[in-house]
Amino acid sequence: MKTSTGRRDWVHYYFKSTSGVIGLFLVLVMVILSIVSALNLAPIDPLEQNPIDALQGPSGTYWFGTDQFGRDIFSRSIDGMSRSLSVALLSVGLAAVVGVFLGVVGGFFGGWLDNLVVRASDVIFAFPAILLALAIVNSLGNSWIDTSIAIAIVYTPIFIRVARGPVLTVKEMDYVKSVRVLGFSTPRILIRHVMPNVLAPIVVQIALSLSWAILTESGLSFLGLGTQPPDASLGLMVSEAQALASFAWWTLAFPSLFITVVVVGLNLVGDGLRDALDPARRSSG
Amino acid sequence: MTNLLEIKNLSVVISEDKRVLVNDVSFEIKPGEAVGVVGESGSGKTLSALSILGLLARGLKIESGEIRFKGADLLKSSAEDLRSIRGKEIAMIYQDPMTALNPVMKIGEQLQEVLDSHQHQITDQKTHILNGLAAVGIADPNRAFDSYPHEFSGGMRQRVMIAMSLLLSPELLIADEPTTALDVTIQRQILALVAKERKRRNMSMLWITHDLGVVANLVDRVIVMYAGRVVETGTVDEIFKAPKHPYTAGLLASLPAAGRDRERLESIPGVPPKPWQVLNTCAFAPRCKEARDICSSHRPELTSNESSSVACFFPLGVKQ
Amino acid sequence: MSLSINNVTKRYRIRARKSVVNALNGITLSVEKGRTLGIVGESGCGKSTLARLIVGLEPPTEGSLLWSGSPLGQGVKNTFRSRHSKTQLVFQDPYSSLNPRQTIGACIAEVLKTHKLRGDAEISARVIELLAVVGIAADMQTRFPHQLSGGQRQRVAIARALAAEPELLVLDEPVSALDVSVRADVMNLLVDLKNKFNLTYIFISHDLSMVRHISDEIAVMYLGRIVEYGTWDEVLNNPKHPYTKALIESIPEHTNVRGIDFENVLEGEVPDPANLPQGCAFHQRCPLAVESCKLKVPELLNATKSHLVACPEVLK
Repeated sequence: MKTSTGRRDWVHYYFKSTSGVIGLFLVLVMVILSIVSALNLAPIDPLEQNPIDALQGPSGTYWFGTDQFGRDIFSRSIDGMSRSLSVALLSVGLAAVVGVFLGVVGGFFGGWLDNLVVRASDVIFAFPAILLALAIVNSLGNSWIDTSIAIAIVYTPIFIRVARGPVLTVKEMDYVKSVRVLGFSTPRILIRHVMPNVLAPIVVQIALSLSWAILTESGLSFLGLGTQPPDASLGLMVSEAQALASFAWWTLAFPSLFITVVVVGLNLVGDGLRDALDPARRSSG
Repeated sequence: MTNLLEIKNLSVVISEDKRVLVNDVSFEIKPGEAVGVVGESGSGKTLSALSILGLLARGLKIESGEIRFKGADLLKSSAEDLRSIRGKEIAMIYQDPMTALNPVMKIGEQLQEVLDSHQHQITDQKTHILNGLAAVGIADPNRAFDSYPHEFSGGMRQRVMIAMSLLLSPELLIADEPTTALDVTIQRQILALVAKERKRRNMSMLWITHDLGVVANLVDRVIVMYAGRVVETGTVDEIFKAPKHPYTAGLLASLPAAGRDRERLESIPGVPPKPWQVLNTCAFAPRCKEARDICSSHRPELTSNESSSVACFFPLGVKQ
Repeated sequence: MSLSINNVTKRYRIRARKSVVNALNGITLSVEKGRTLGIVGESGCGKSTLARLIVGLEPPTEGSLLWSGSPLGQGVKNTFRSRHSKTQLVFQDPYSSLNPRQTIGACIAEVLKTHKLRGDAEISARVIELLAVVGIAADMQTRFPHQLSGGQRQRVAIARALAAEPELLVLDEPVSALDVSVRADVMNLLVDLKNKFNLTYIFISHDLSMVRHISDEIAVMYLGRIVEYGTWDEVLNNPKHPYTKALIESIPEHTNVRGIDFENVLEGEVPDPANLPQGCAFHQRCPLAVESCKLKVPELLNATKSHLVACPEVLK
């Protein structure tokens, strides 16, 4: 019999998983580096060109080496990471708020509203994510906000689906029926009794979607949409490094490494949260 | 008469933390005998039965004990031997026939598979299956043969399960609450069917349930379990007419029944403890009207007296 | 004051199967204040649908449900949400009827706050009082449902229903999911509460022995209709309808060792509610059925002044 209160339980459980802790560490390192860059504390201005130092390998001055214009790859990488994370946070935030709202409301009330929500998300699902994002960015523009909106539209249906499924189950639970019989208002039932019980999969989905959003943003930049030169972006750096990689490996290796680290980190965090938030897995311990 | 099945000092624990769920349980089943195991949830009745077939869920394990079937210890048998005993000599029916039947396979195929997996020497397998279905009261066996489980009602699915379990003429049928999910009129049909088939085949049966009414009407001998232990055994008449353990007596008195006073039920205070909390005392002592000091400091052992046995320092109806 | 259910019908349209399920067909019942009506029947008989209509979870398709003259059923959404209902429901499964993420104290306090049944200062005292009424110690109020036993959870569910100060309590299989040894305790509690608060009960169960224990009147349902109604004594000790008789004979009683009759078993299964047979819904399984049973649905007629039976054959 468990005697803990259940609420802080999952935090405790999360930190028992090694991979979850490693994931959280990787993500935190990237977040701190992004903040360093956002506060203009990077060792070298990421836009500053030093043609004399072009294409130098990693050294004490240039930790990750320099690119063909002599720009510092470490500073550009953390600047790109900061931009990627901003896009990911904004896009996933938008997608989660809109998607969860539509999913919860649609699932709880059903009827034509639900039909509309489900059909619309099916239509979006029918397109490959990156193609749809490409098309939307093309029509919106290239600012980081436009990119975020494009990615948000692509990921909203996932949140609709993740929220709607559990709501369909929870609304049939006796405890939701019993508060209806007790005459509670619908907003109260949704916020106090339905939402807390569908939150776990949504939290997990947010972690996983952040990593996908970073990949999508990088992909868009790689293809020349999204972030435009001379601004740094991990995807753009990888794209530019293609021609150089054969004789200056560091131009490709470090931006790619950053993308990999943050994506792996977020996935580990997502997996850790999934295990920690699932009472069935926990209680077996 | 030698025993068909003999369980000796069986203990089942949670592998991870060694918490005890079944605590030193012993009982036996004679050939042709119907034995009922009654107990509440958590009493260990289902785990004891699953142990017999080696079907304990992951995370649970048999800590000690012997399970002898026709003299051979099943716990020491090879996986191969155990597999050939399962289904062929010992069959089992479950509470929920929907999850016990494969939803994407036709009934006929599933029954066929039972025969195939035991290389049974039956020449006309289809006729054998159709006869089996007819024997459990399925009106149109040919149609049933080609149907999927979802096309049947709960009662009919339970009949199919029974047909499947009887297909290889087992010597022992283990039934885990097979009628709990059914309506009472359907339950009576299934009980009547099982009673008839058991008699016809002179088969032994282990019937696990929390429903005292079912046990009183179906079996020869009763084993009462509480918090992982056997607290009383006896013939159905002994248990229901002259219970010796205060738990058995209290339980029987607490249930409303025809002809009984409607004023107030004799309730048992408190809730059943977890088996691992009461390893070395009488598990029922905190709820028992007869309890004295010794009951909370020592464990009463199951002591036999002819056909019955009781694990109590102060059994009812016995002069102190 | 009383509950009156007038000619209530409930139909569900099942789109996938393009069919209509007749869950309730012209139910007429009344329950006097302070009485307990037991409703028995097997799955598909409509007893749980009736419970949902009485507490206003769903409106009836036809007919009306009145509690002391004011409607419970039709247009229930508005009246019911603006002022809290005088009818409350206790569910079968105490494991799913409490929000797993709310402490039991919070779940009772929420009812008092939402309906402003007590001032803010009095709420915690009232929560403790309600828990005490159902036999739960005050220091348990910070616990979550998963930390309680089934019996304790059912007590909390009852306390929460009482927090809304109901006059009529619908009990849908309130002890069926509980361990056998704690059922008597909860049954005794229900009887005490009824006397203490002058409640009216609708006690729904498939367990005839529990219904027999607590009911003043009993209604036996089969496929959306009442087939027999009367005082508990009349219905159970002098059953008239062949279905009621079969139901009573089917109960394995622990007081009657080897007493059940396995020879004369009621055969057949309950027909599909979406595809009811013509005439009396029981005629295919009935030992007394005659030709006319296949044509006309029998009406509930008086056998005695207080005993109604829907079977012309036994009234002849």
